[in-house]
Order: sequence, then C-alpha cells, then structure tokens
Amino acid sequence: MKRVTRNIDPDCARDLLERVPRACIAFACDHGPQAQPIVLVWHDGRYLVGISQHADRKPGPSQEVVLLIDEGVHYFDLRALYIRGQVKQASAPPEAPAADCTWLEVVPLKTVAWDYGTLREVRDER
Amino acid sequence: MNVDDPAMLDVIRRCMVARIATLSRNGRPSINPLYFVYVPGHIWLGTVEWTLAARNVKADPRVSVLFEVERDRSPRRILRISGRAIVRTDPKGQRSYNLRVARKYVLTPGGIRHYLAHLRQLRLRRHYAAQNVSMGQPCVIEVTPLHAEFLGDEQLG
Repeated sequence: MKRVTRNIDPDCARDLLERVPRACIAFACDHGPQAQPIVLVWHDGRYLVGISQHADRKPGPSQEVVLLIDEGVHYFDLRALYIRGQVKQASAPPEAPAADCTWLEVVPLKTVAWDYGTLREVRDER
Repeated sequence: MNVDDPAMLDVIRRCMVARIATLSRNGRPSINPLYFVYVPGHIWLGTVEWTLAARNVKADPRVSVLFEVERDRSPRRILRISGRAIVRTDPKGQRSYNLRVARKYVLTPGGIRHYLAHLRQLRLRRHYAAQNVSMGQPCVIEVTPLHAEFLGDEQLG
C-alpha cells in the first residue's frame, strides 16, 4: 500500500534556517493563542528567537511554543519547518540584528518539515 | 482598529499565505500556513477537517492570524487579527471558497505559469488531495475578526 507525502527530513529544509523567509511563533496567553512575528537566528544548532521589546505579549520561561519558518506562494513552492518546543531565556547572538529584542531559545521537542515540490509516493507503514 | 479599514484590507488582499495560531483542547499552541480568501466581514482559510488547525478551532474558537505581504518592506506590511472562528463544511460554503481560491491562486498569470511548469506533478497533487479527503471532509475555517493591528518594524524585532 502506498500513500503520497509532502513530508521531508528536516535537514533538507536547513536552508530555511539560513535564509529565514518568514518566521513566527505561536503560544498561549491569557486571551487565547498569539501569533508573533520574530527574528530567527540559527546559531550553533540553536534556535534563537528575537521578540521585539515592544511586543505586548511574550512567552514565559519553559512555556510551550511552536516556531514556524515557511516560504512560498504557489502550491509546489510551499515549504516549511515546524518546531514544537519550550522556550528559555538566551542572550543575544553575535549575529543578531541591531533591533531592540528580547532573546529566547526554543529547545525543540518535535520537528517536522514539508515541501510540496517533493510530493511523492511512499510505502504506507502506518 | 476596524478590519474594514482600507489599509488593512489592502494587506489582506495582497497577502497570499496566512498563518493561523490556534490552541488545542489542552491549551497547546499550533500555527499553520494556509491559503485564504477575504469575504466581507470574514476571512476564510481552507483546510481539511482532520488537520490540527481545524480540530483546534472546534475545541477553542479563539484564533490569532498573521498576514504578511511578500516582498514588501513597508512598515505596514504585517497585520495581526485576533478573533473567533468556526469550521464550515457546508457544500455551498466550500464551493464558494473553491471558486475564490481558484481565482486568487490559479487563474492568474503567475498561477498558470506555475502549474504549467509542474504538469508532471499534478497527478500526485490530485492523489494527495484525494488521500486527504478520504481522511476527513474539506472545510473552511471562517474567522470573524474582533481586533486588528498593524505590527510596525518596532514590533518585529
């Protein structure tokens, strides 16, 4: 039995971490979910997230977040890295942009990646 | 700020992929990039009933949605809407969504060029869509905005 998949090895989407076309996080806060655009610096394999000092809400220590880095508009160009993890405080990375940010590290618990340009049939082992 | 503000509508009309943040029944966050269309008073995002986004909206209707205009560096290029959402599976709504999505993403010079360049992959796309539908109905997440704000450069880090 075969199925079609868009999923790829997250290592194959590493370029998204270097170019960072679009990046944001989601977390829970008192009024519900919050989507927040961020600055992402991938430094020594660590996911360092800069959130503006002016952001009205930020995730707290050890809070669960999802970090999404994605790109593309047309169907076969859509690619993404989806990282679920916990945040902890971090210092600004050396290559951080000059912007006024609070820096957090996302410690990944689960990472998935997809690329619609690689749609293919695979053996269904579920 | 009212979501019918012309500057906000301009961002929504030019943005191609929205990112919708949701919470599970247990309060766990998720965020997903989805195609969407604007209909007066609502944002419609297309997905399938079994996806995390649709299941989360059924569990907790509160959502936060980011709209970012691609290749735009202006200070008013990112809009965040918070609101409440429902999952619609009615055939009339689905047909209307499909027509609007085809106009926005396929029946444009860029869309036609894209699909012509990927003709060989269309068979897999059809199989993938059919496989998804076999796991749950196509649906529209209908967001009713309650609050909207531009995120200026000082908000982006």
